[in-house]
Amino acid sequence: MKKRNKHIYLLSPLYIYLILFFFAPIFILFIYSFWLKSSSGFIHTFTLQNYIKIFSNPLYLTVIRNSILIGLVTAVICVLASYPVAYAIAFKYKKLQDVILYIILISLFSSYLVRVYAWRIILGRYGLINQILIYLKLIKEPLTFFLYSPTSVIITLVFILIPFTILPIYSSLTNISIDLHEAAADLGANKFKTFFKVTLPLSKSGVTSGFIFSFVLATGDYVTPQLVGGTQGLMIGRIISDQFGMAFNWPFGSSLAYFTLFLIVLTVNLFIWIVKILKIGR
Amino acid sequence: MSSENELLIENTYKNFGNVSAVKNFNLKVEDNEFVTLLGPSGCGKTTLLRIIAGFEIPDSGDVLLNGKSIVNIPPYKRPLNMVFQRYALFPHMTVYENIAFSQFLKKKPKEEIKNKVKKMLELVQLEGFEKRKPDQLSGGQCQRVALVRALINEPKVLLLDEPLGALDLKIRKDMQIEIKNIQERLKMTFIYVTHDQEEAMVMSDRIVLMRNGEIIQIGKPKEIYNYPNSIFSAKFIGENNILDGEVLEIKNDHLVIDINGLNILTNKTSNVKIRDKVFLAIRPEKIKRIYTIENKSFDNHIVGKIEKIVFFGSTIKYYVSISEEIFLVIEEKVAEENNKHVKGNNIGDEVNLRFSKEDVDIFLK
Repeated sequence: MKKRNKHIYLLSPLYIYLILFFFAPIFILFIYSFWLKSSSGFIHTFTLQNYIKIFSNPLYLTVIRNSILIGLVTAVICVLASYPVAYAIAFKYKKLQDVILYIILISLFSSYLVRVYAWRIILGRYGLINQILIYLKLIKEPLTFFLYSPTSVIITLVFILIPFTILPIYSSLTNISIDLHEAAADLGANKFKTFFKVTLPLSKSGVTSGFIFSFVLATGDYVTPQLVGGTQGLMIGRIISDQFGMAFNWPFGSSLAYFTLFLIVLTVNLFIWIVKILKIGR
Repeated sequence: MSSENELLIENTYKNFGNVSAVKNFNLKVEDNEFVTLLGPSGCGKTTLLRIIAGFEIPDSGDVLLNGKSIVNIPPYKRPLNMVFQRYALFPHMTVYENIAFSQFLKKKPKEEIKNKVKKMLELVQLEGFEKRKPDQLSGGQCQRVALVRALINEPKVLLLDEPLGALDLKIRKDMQIEIKNIQERLKMTFIYVTHDQEEAMVMSDRIVLMRNGEIIQIGKPKEIYNYPNSIFSAKFIGENNILDGEVLEIKNDHLVIDINGLNILTNKTSNVKIRDKVFLAIRPEKIKRIYTIENKSFDNHIVGKIEKIVFFGSTIKYYVSISEEIFLVIEEKVAEENNKHVKGNNIGDEVNLRFSKEDVDIFLK
């Protein structure tokens, strides 16, 4: 036995946990997706009928497409909004970085539901935004498009998920030595070129993981669309949860979940591939 | 590259809060000159280099290149380049891309860049390393890449901020010679920052010795070594025996200094009076054990006891106690040490020491 392999046992608690509580359930779900629902329970068989059903009804594909679009838009907004914040904390306000990071993390301390409800209050028919607009006499009747639309879902998801993009981008930026900025300047790069040739390529890993976090979490979310999305902002997570709940059609829910998972993995890998072939900074 | 380049630093001051990093600094660096800013850490040498590079703006004063002020020019427009202490190679780029970085920015033709990078890699014997990433290089190789990455831009002045500080001794010594050779070959002006006096001696045409942001002494390595102008110079450059004493008598052609009861003769200097407190500095190699050089008169004769002998290869050092308070270090070439006539080769032996008054430097306290 080679010495360097010994420490692999230190990983065993993680492996045991993952096998018992992640891989096993997800594998069982995979088997479910080939079963069928009957009035008396589940028929243990092997059929692709559930998957065919997804394609037979355009509702499912539309909702899946919308979910992925909402996820993409949310992730793009999260990354674009996070980058300047992360950059500022990492390079410009070093003395305040603990305070600012703490403030960002505070939003994670409160319950997810509370935060979504807060946005309902802000965006609602008699919510904060409408009240202010009416008070300023800019509108007479409250505007209704804030709530119960894809926009409101995206606004709320961006707010909830932004710490998950700020933190990885921030941590990748702090790994960039200030020497590299000076070296680039010394070799003739102005601030703009230094950013695109040195800073951005070196923070690529943070941007990528921030994007993936926010995209995956947003696409799969089912509470936010339910509370602020209305019928316009319906997302696939809601439909899947309904299959496991009200409809009690676990096999179909599983196949929907697996199909969505497949598309999310595909999108994520497409994103990684795009980042790779762009070769930023060369 | 070989046009008239003259860098002038005039009355430059720089403070960080209450700490003054550079004080009233005046220096003229000639074309093709290798100037070293030498001093202990915190003496302001790096700050001064960063002022020249443009990373710090002086509080007052001016930096002129060929008569034109460059103080208000941002670093990326200055015709100077810098080699950083921790290499500062771009980790996401290959060696080739690192070296070619400034040329890409200047939008030079690809073929020209390729030839230039090739020439640069030949200069530091790194042919074939083009496709490596910095993390696949050793420290010495990284520093070579960093050096040519700056050189490819053909800077009017190359600034080097302790570039060898992170390397181990053997590689450092090789690189010292290599950098000096490159500077002589390319006929460029180098301004080099180090805290290592030996490094400064090996490489420099001129040394600027600094302390607390001020220039203590400027001169060729030999001048500073042989004629230190202050106790700080005497202590910092090379090894020295420092003795603490008082002027006892002023004679026609010499002074008598009292060191805790031991009298030492020195050359006469105009600026001392009787009872002045002074420091004496004597180089270890100037003190001779008796019989090592015959038929030469010496002014100072001292008897001591050998406490310790340390062998350094080509030289050997004797640590000799003269009294309870006074210790001297003597350095001899090993060839002399082998001389059978010399007595006192063992620890505890009594030894007779001689040195002439010319070899004693005297500084007022």
